[in-house]
Amino acid sequence: MMKLNWFSPLPPARTDIAHYTTRVLPSLAQLAEVTLWTDQTEWEPSIEQLAEVRTFDLNHVPWVELNRADVNFYQIGNNPLFHSSIWQTSRLHAGVVVLHDQRLHHFFDDFFRVQRHDLGSYLTVMERYYGAAGRHDAADSFHNHAHKIDYMAEQYPLTEFAVENQLAVIVHTPEAYTCLSAVLDCPVALAPLPFTAGTRTPVTRPVGPPYQLIVFGYIGKSRRLNSVLAALASLPDKEKFQLDVYGDLLDGTEEVNAEILKLGLQDRATLHGFATETQLDQALAQSHLALNLRFPTMGEASGSQLRIWSHALPSLVSEVGWYATLPHEAVAFVRPGEHEISDIRSHLESFLSDPSAFIKMGERGRVLLETEHAPQHYAETLIAVAKLAQEFRTRVCANRLADRVGSAVKGWSTPSQFEEANSDIAGRIFELLATTEQDSI
Amino acid sequence: MRILIATVQVPFIRGGAEVHAEGLRDALRSAGHEVEIVAIPFKWYPPERIIDHMLACRLLDLTEVMGTTVDLLIGLRFPAYFIPHPNKVLWILHQFRTAYELWDHPLGDLIYSPNGREVRDAMRHADKQFIGQAKKVFANSANVAARLKYYCNIEAAPLYHPPPDAEKFFNAEAEDYFFFPSRLCLPKRQSLVLEALAQTKQPVHVLFAGAADQPGYQDELDKLARKLRMHNRVEWLGQITEEKKRELYAHSLGVIYPPIDEDYGYVTLEGMLAGKPLVVCSDSGGPLEFVRQEETGLIAEPEPRSLAQSLDQIWKNRSVAKQWGEAGKSLYQDLNITWDNVIHKLVN
Repeated sequence: MMKLNWFSPLPPARTDIAHYTTRVLPSLAQLAEVTLWTDQTEWEPSIEQLAEVRTFDLNHVPWVELNRADVNFYQIGNNPLFHSSIWQTSRLHAGVVVLHDQRLHHFFDDFFRVQRHDLGSYLTVMERYYGAAGRHDAADSFHNHAHKIDYMAEQYPLTEFAVENQLAVIVHTPEAYTCLSAVLDCPVALAPLPFTAGTRTPVTRPVGPPYQLIVFGYIGKSRRLNSVLAALASLPDKEKFQLDVYGDLLDGTEEVNAEILKLGLQDRATLHGFATETQLDQALAQSHLALNLRFPTMGEASGSQLRIWSHALPSLVSEVGWYATLPHEAVAFVRPGEHEISDIRSHLESFLSDPSAFIKMGERGRVLLETEHAPQHYAETLIAVAKLAQEFRTRVCANRLADRVGSAVKGWSTPSQFEEANSDIAGRIFELLATTEQDSI
Repeated sequence: MRILIATVQVPFIRGGAEVHAEGLRDALRSAGHEVEIVAIPFKWYPPERIIDHMLACRLLDLTEVMGTTVDLLIGLRFPAYFIPHPNKVLWILHQFRTAYELWDHPLGDLIYSPNGREVRDAMRHADKQFIGQAKKVFANSANVAARLKYYCNIEAAPLYHPPPDAEKFFNAEAEDYFFFPSRLCLPKRQSLVLEALAQTKQPVHVLFAGAADQPGYQDELDKLARKLRMHNRVEWLGQITEEKKRELYAHSLGVIYPPIDEDYGYVTLEGMLAGKPLVVCSDSGGPLEFVRQEETGLIAEPEPRSLAQSLDQIWKNRSVAKQWGEAGKSLYQDLNITWDNVIHKLVN
């Protein structure tokens, strides 16, 4: 049985990646000996029933214990609060990176600009990956408090940097797989985000109208709440809907409340704030339609969407990134941009005219969840990738050696001689660490 | 033949490996060959430096020198045995041990490095890739050969060689001391001997010869001896001459040599050449290939009480000890441990 280290935020950390870990662990622990590693000072005790929990801090990483495992898995996403220490550990000890976002510029902006105030390193990395243009835009972004951070993330995702010199990468979306497998030399695997579907229970939603609409999660501008409110306000039959919003409002409750008042929706929309997992599941079970919009998106697969499907709940999603790859039978698409409000409104009108069509949509989502997102399948993929990753470790060593040699040789000679020397040395490195043929003397 | 012996050298450090290479060189020269030692400077920290040295060795060209062919390359130590040559024979003293049996071991250091696993796997990969490509592969001992088989699935024949100046060892009347000549360091386990002394029932005395690898280590041992109230039963002789060493072997009651998983161990052979019984431990590695329990010495468990019992047994039974010593010398001669045999195997 393989021995794995799993670096991840853990509940009660307010990130779905913590919940993702609790979904994967029961299946993974059947196939491997897993140790959880966290830099949190507290975690839900129940998680210790799934695996041993160990703490680390970057100044005192117990390398002996990490080296004893076959492979480390690092959960990497855009929130530096949860992933900064994990990413830094991955730089020192290569492992398998599970990417929870396809574009990581938000993470690195925070890491270099906010946490480190380190313009030099930020520019060096940007120039290395994106040339002079990247360096120029990075300097502008750094000096102007990342005023165009979404543009930076779109143009300069820095995902390759996030997984530089790693043993393997796991992604959750076809788009991420296509992009990364084209540029990385390490194994890249696509594994649909896992979710425990749970026992199917009969739907007991109240008969509408009014129909319950739900928006939930960590709600910033990308969740398009203002568009939802605007669409609802424009609807002649808006009294047939009740909108419930669960979760932290990243732009502040006052601003959203002001918008609700301005649109005259104070009787139609309720802000509940943070909800426990149980409260949220109860709310989802009572809802008729979820609005799970994202724009812009960092390309991530959505644990929220899987949760929606687990309740056989129909949903509206933005037609971008991973969401755009979902079967149209299982979700209803909302085009971002100028059509966004009209699309939401159109779907709400459709709902009123034929609720049963949306009920079927939710049912198909549930089937999709059960067939493609089973944690057992996901855990099996993790093990397969871990085995591939072990074989790739000497290749990573070769890459690092090539970097050192390249730095040492640079400046010795003319560019043509440099190329020739590099080619010879590269051949030797490949022969030394990356081949299996018994063909050299 | 023009022969190069490829080894590594940690500057300012001299031990058995250097003696081994010089012994081989001298024997080959005596047999009429033209021989040089090529010693690659070696540094093992930080761990990525090891990988750099591996590449450096692969980049060397020792196939010819100024138009004259080098007929044979004999590789002795990691990573010098990676140096390419169309007619290469390996006589492996040992692999890089912290990548193998000392990986997760109190004496291992590589596992403490963030990239330890990566460097370990790279070394193992390269060993598997290149060792088997040599025309012939010999190991310094059966212990080293067994490690090659276990970790890399590489067959290697054990090939024993004599310690330096083997013909000069002699036997004399036993006096009241055991002799333990070795570098003072953790793997040789002088501390275990001190702890064993504290549990002996006989007034056993031990003479330790050899310098400490690390400054201050002798003081640590001395403190331990005082703490155990054994300081009057031991002597720290430090570095001594070869002549003095042979004299101390000759007059000893027996020789103690309890290292952890030694590759080969000249001390065992020197004790046999001096006609003295050996006391070794069951996890001592190479020495176990030469010590026959209660025939040429005693094999104790690696813990103080067992070792103490062995020391007491020899201390009390001088005539038996003498017989075991003579049997050891006879065994040495039966094993054909000669440079002639070594050269025959390596060159022909």
